[in-house]
Amino acid sequence: MEPATRQRLAAFITRAGGARNTAIVALERMGGGAVQENWALDVDFDGEPRRWVLRTDARGAVRESLTRAQEFAVLKVAYAANVFAPEPLYLCEDLAVTGRQFFIMRRLPGIAAGHRVTRNSNLVPEPARLARELAANLARLHEIRPPPLDFLKTMRARDNIAHYRAYLNTLPRAYPVLEWGLRWCEINAPAREDITFIHRDYRTGNYLVHDGHLAGVLDWEFTAFGNPLEDIGWMCAKCWRFARPDLAVGGIANVEDFIPEYERASRRHVPQSDLDYWQVMAHVRWAVIALQQVERHLSGSEPSLELALTGHIIGRLELEILNLTGKA
Amino acid sequence: MNDRPDARELLGAARDAFTAEILPVLPEALRYTGLMIANALAIAQREIEAGDASARAEHARLCRLFSGAPEALAGEALYGALAVYNQRLSHDIRVGRFDGRERAALLEHLRRTTEEKLAVSNPKALHGR
Repeated sequence: MEPATRQRLAAFITRAGGARNTAIVALERMGGGAVQENWALDVDFDGEPRRWVLRTDARGAVRESLTRAQEFAVLKVAYAANVFAPEPLYLCEDLAVTGRQFFIMRRLPGIAAGHRVTRNSNLVPEPARLARELAANLARLHEIRPPPLDFLKTMRARDNIAHYRAYLNTLPRAYPVLEWGLRWCEINAPAREDITFIHRDYRTGNYLVHDGHLAGVLDWEFTAFGNPLEDIGWMCAKCWRFARPDLAVGGIANVEDFIPEYERASRRHVPQSDLDYWQVMAHVRWAVIALQQVERHLSGSEPSLELALTGHIIGRLELEILNLTGKA
Repeated sequence: MNDRPDARELLGAARDAFTAEILPVLPEALRYTGLMIANALAIAQREIEAGDASARAEHARLCRLFSGAPEALAGEALYGALAVYNQRLSHDIRVGRFDGRERAALLEHLRRTTEEKLAVSNPKALHGR
């Protein structure tokens, strides 16, 4: 970030935080985030050190997700509901400051990287306990009844199917396995669904683990109203198990460590058939997102080896769709 | 016709040199990019080695699935015919043509196609890691 931009950023923080004087001590791009950028922001705030994160749109990102202002509003509601999440502090919609919308939140300690969390038993000495914390936290998240968040869309099972089909229609190539997965989801769609506030990216890699405990859930950009079991299926889908494909709950624990605690805390039953259903939907959804990422590379709008290689994980997702739907 | 080493051999040599000599000395911050480069080279190499055998097999299966006369196609004609067949297959799946009796034949075809794709893009996934 250029010196002039840093100065404008410091001035914004002074104003927004009601400080007398602030100085930016460090500002460094953090890893992860193909859609959003996170910057570690250390500030001297009236002489006191503050450790924050500045979250802003990535350049050239596809707008599937919430705006920063919307995500900030969601995060406020979630934080107020005692869901483990970083505390949101200041929102800046004035493009004159950095050229992009951004917000600032408190920086939580901990590790999020999926490969480390699933591989390193020092980070997660008691995985069953972490799984229970994730379950209880998710149940709390699903209890949020937020009237002010009227910008969130509602995505029932059939809305998901229609949405993914509409996207596939825009592509020059056909994807028969994904079409099969969607048809299967259509045939087996639940007759009635609970609709709650849902996170839609609640998985290993998106939460911080600190001292072996859940410290906070990140990335609130995909939240919507929908079937709470979609979050359960996403958390348990094989594509999010990183180094431990044998451990169903995000590569850290078994379903027995997660589902009963979620059922207890939410007073909502999770039948095996629903768990299977939402795992199929999870793989279809991830494949569609992967196609969107590849498209960013192929269209030339954002040439990137990482985005290009995302195209080559689709086969793995398709194989899992076939494994899950070929049973009956 | 180019001299040897051909494209496949050059990619192999480049990947070997990269993984043996460059990857180990890359600083941590570049390691992920290095691994991605090695992976991309490996996929490209396997794709060249595989040739169009899997495309021909996929085409033959689609001919059977749609009771068409098997044709021996190659090159652009093969890939063009595959694209048309797969559009039709996708449409028919969506409208439910494969919900009933033909479901097993469909799933068999989709599984083989996916496995052939993975043999190029991610052989580890085929062997259950």
